[in-house]
Amino acid sequence: MYKSLKIIVTLTITSLFVGCVPAGTPKPPVKKEPRLGTPIQRADYSYPPRSYRQTIKNYFSSKLKRAEQASYTFSAPQRAYKRKGLAYGGDIVWKGWLVDVSIAVPSRTGRMQQPKPHMVLFKNNVIVEDILGSKHQLITRLGQ
Amino acid sequence: MANFNTHFVVAASASAVLSGTLLSMEILEPTQAVMAFALGTFGGLMPDIDSDHSKSIGVGFTVVSLLITTLSVFVKSSTYSIVEMLLMAGVVFGTVRFGLIGVFRKISKHRGMFHSIPVALIWGVSTAIIMHLFFGLNALVSWVYGVMITWGYLVHLILDEIYSVDLGNRRVKKSWGTALKLVKLKTNTDKIQTALVYLALVLLMMKAPDTTMIQEALFSPEAWANFKDVLLPYDGRWFFH
Repeated sequence: MYKSLKIIVTLTITSLFVGCVPAGTPKPPVKKEPRLGTPIQRADYSYPPRSYRQTIKNYFSSKLKRAEQASYTFSAPQRAYKRKGLAYGGDIVWKGWLVDVSIAVPSRTGRMQQPKPHMVLFKNNVIVEDILGSKHQLITRLGQ
Repeated sequence: MANFNTHFVVAASASAVLSGTLLSMEILEPTQAVMAFALGTFGGLMPDIDSDHSKSIGVGFTVVSLLITTLSVFVKSSTYSIVEMLLMAGVVFGTVRFGLIGVFRKISKHRGMFHSIPVALIWGVSTAIIMHLFFGLNALVSWVYGVMITWGYLVHLILDEIYSVDLGNRRVKKSWGTALKLVKLKTNTDKIQTALVYLALVLLMMKAPDTTMIQEALFSPEAWANFKDVLLPYDGRWFFH
């Protein structure tokens, strides 16, 4: 009795999980995905972000602790694209410009820490996401 | 051998200490620390899933089945209808939870290679890969979650070894050394299993996320300095901040 009750409860919870996911939405038109050897469609990536240094500083000023004392080191923007996690289908979810930035902030005792790398993803001059680290297996860099 | 409740309480306590420390060192955000705590606790129950009659095998297979079911639903959510997804979810869950468990019981032996350090590492690396490639988390957080699973797992193995010392009778039980081991080489099957475990570990490491950030966050002079910063009140004023 207890066993079958456990099975019913577990199946019900699974069903609820499933019910929360929208289905049957029309698929967006398929875009040509960059593959090795195919020319980069520059138009897909738009122009490189303007005044990206200030944009990035403004963005992190509300995200980091003790951001007012942060020091930044920037790299030049480069084209890149990112895939969704495989759990969500693995399709290309973003194409744009990526800026590597190292940010050093003090610890809560005031000791300046080693800078941490971040990848900042731009689309049309707007930051869409920042990812801690300088590498991610779902991000492909295409150069400048 | 410690029972289910003891393993649960000790793994939860050890995970709370580690996730709290990582939160304090500003390696994790509060929500990530909660997830890290949950994974560490789950890791502490995992080694006993090779025991046919333990509660752990039931809990472990239910969690894994739910995870695989949810993943399959995510993958098909943009193409399947709700009814199709319900049917698929039922089949996937039933197959893993009630089908695979039987196969697993047949091939696994309690206190076999499942109770070993390399398998603890395999679970950690696998978790890091899943978090990074399947859920798109950054390399640092993916690795922290992997470390938490391995941490909980190792706490379980250490507890088993502690329980194999009988302090009252001042003797060591037969189970001494069967939990926290690097290899098992008694029979030819053991040798093959050990080789396969190490091969799997090497292959998984080749697919694992970048380790630079986790090394710097946990195993560097900077990490040690960060830990010292948060270990005691830096200004000597206890409880008045």
